[in-house]
Amino acid sequence: MREQAWLRGAILVFWTLFWGLSVVDKIVPDVTHLWVGKDFFALFVKFFASLKLKDPMFATVALAGVSGLEAVNFTLYGTALVALLRGDAGRAETWFYRGIVTSLGLFVLFSMGDQVFGDRFQLLEHGLFWMVLLASWIAFKFFAVDEEHSGGLGSVRTVLLLGALLTLGATWSIRDFSSQTFHNVDKPVLGVEVVEGMWKFDFPFLADKLVWEQTVNAFVEEHPELKVTYIYTGPSELNSKKKTHLLLYVFTERR
Amino acid sequence: MTNSPSSKSSSHWLKLGILVYWTLFWLFNVVDKVIGGAHFLWVGRDRFAQFQKYFASAGLDAPWVADAGLVVAAALEIFALLFCAGSVIHFMKRREDMARIWFFVGVLLTMATFTLFSIGDHLFGDRFELLEHTLFWFITLVSWVAFTRLKDVHLPTLSQHKPVGMIVVAALLVLATSASIFRHNDRFFHRRTSAVDAVQVGDHLYKVSFPFLGGSTVFEESIRLFKETHPGETIDHIYTVPNPLRLKKADALIFYISTEAS
Repeated sequence: MREQAWLRGAILVFWTLFWGLSVVDKIVPDVTHLWVGKDFFALFVKFFASLKLKDPMFATVALAGVSGLEAVNFTLYGTALVALLRGDAGRAETWFYRGIVTSLGLFVLFSMGDQVFGDRFQLLEHGLFWMVLLASWIAFKFFAVDEEHSGGLGSVRTVLLLGALLTLGATWSIRDFSSQTFHNVDKPVLGVEVVEGMWKFDFPFLADKLVWEQTVNAFVEEHPELKVTYIYTGPSELNSKKKTHLLLYVFTERR
Repeated sequence: MTNSPSSKSSSHWLKLGILVYWTLFWLFNVVDKVIGGAHFLWVGRDRFAQFQKYFASAGLDAPWVADAGLVVAAALEIFALLFCAGSVIHFMKRREDMARIWFFVGVLLTMATFTLFSIGDHLFGDRFELLEHTLFWFITLVSWVAFTRLKDVHLPTLSQHKPVGMIVVAALLVLATSASIFRHNDRFFHRRTSAVDAVQVGDHLYKVSFPFLGGSTVFEESIRLFKETHPGETIDHIYTVPNPLRLKKADALIFYISTEAS
């Protein structure tokens, strides 16, 4: 097994997909069938508005500039990947290096923006991506000068059999859990009166706005003698960490 | 200080540590997929709910789509686990070349898994998970580099002199921290369930400041206590103080109860 080629391939595939999908996210700017993505236009408009630059042209030009750089990045990584697949390691390395330099530059640009707009979390995010890019180059180049290791795995029949059995077991478990819980997608939640006139609803993880509407309607139908006076959404501090998804309290009084 | 050639090299334990880490990492991920849901002694993460919501947001709300996504992820994780576990066995049996090649397949499967997850993160617009998966992808790469680059070197053996001072300081610190933790538990664990008094801060306006231990039980008990101690008032509204209005880490949950006379 040629470790060097496989590892280089894995690195190039990751970054080619990373930039390719970033470009797709800009080409498909809104939520559509089979694509959600992130609304970068809204993000940029808000960023520039916070600088008192409310004309959407600023955000549009900035986003177009960034997208253009990402598209260039993608073509550089794509060219490197194609070269590697064709067995031209030297050419792959040169194009990957060009991609790395331009992407590092792009993350420097993003980091400057994060500082200007005061978004420290995005600054950390972009700083980490910058570091991972740099490390990817080191790993790519590092192995380029490494002695080649190759060898066989030996017999893997047992592993394949065990893996297939475990996958079957996991599939059964996933299907079973799915069939047991999928009804939570639209089933109303039952309330418990925890204090006189105060009802608690413990929403499952699958629940969304549809469940909320079903729950309130079902509650009103089941308790015609009660009038809902107030609904309080329990803040995250009331949840027992990962076990509770959303707590809703409904306050009532007798009609 | 002298070298002890008979002892195992420092690299041996670090390499074993890398292999054990990834084996346990995937083992627990696979167990999390198989268990599904929160149970006694296992909470895990409801991946089915997460996948279902992701795919539903992209217009694919049939449960089999989420199931299929989870099965593919589980299969990759299972094979990554088996190759990492196989690598540990080879390594323990001192078959280092085999351990290396088995771990390499485990690394490739791990990187493939995180690459697949990253595609999903782009598609579903979850930038935090994209960062998380990119970092795991990076940690996998670094683990491989560390595993293959660690040289077999022996640490210098320390002289026979026992570090009495260090042992005494460590023991005292262990005692001090344990005593402090147990005392805090004795004095404050009741905050997990005890009702909190509401303080009147305005006309028909009451403030409830939660302790950090407080959860839904404290909230419900506090409302019960408030109703008992203020029978002439009806709760009109509860306002939760948003994070920007709290004193950074010093304030836990604070809410105000607005009332009107019954």
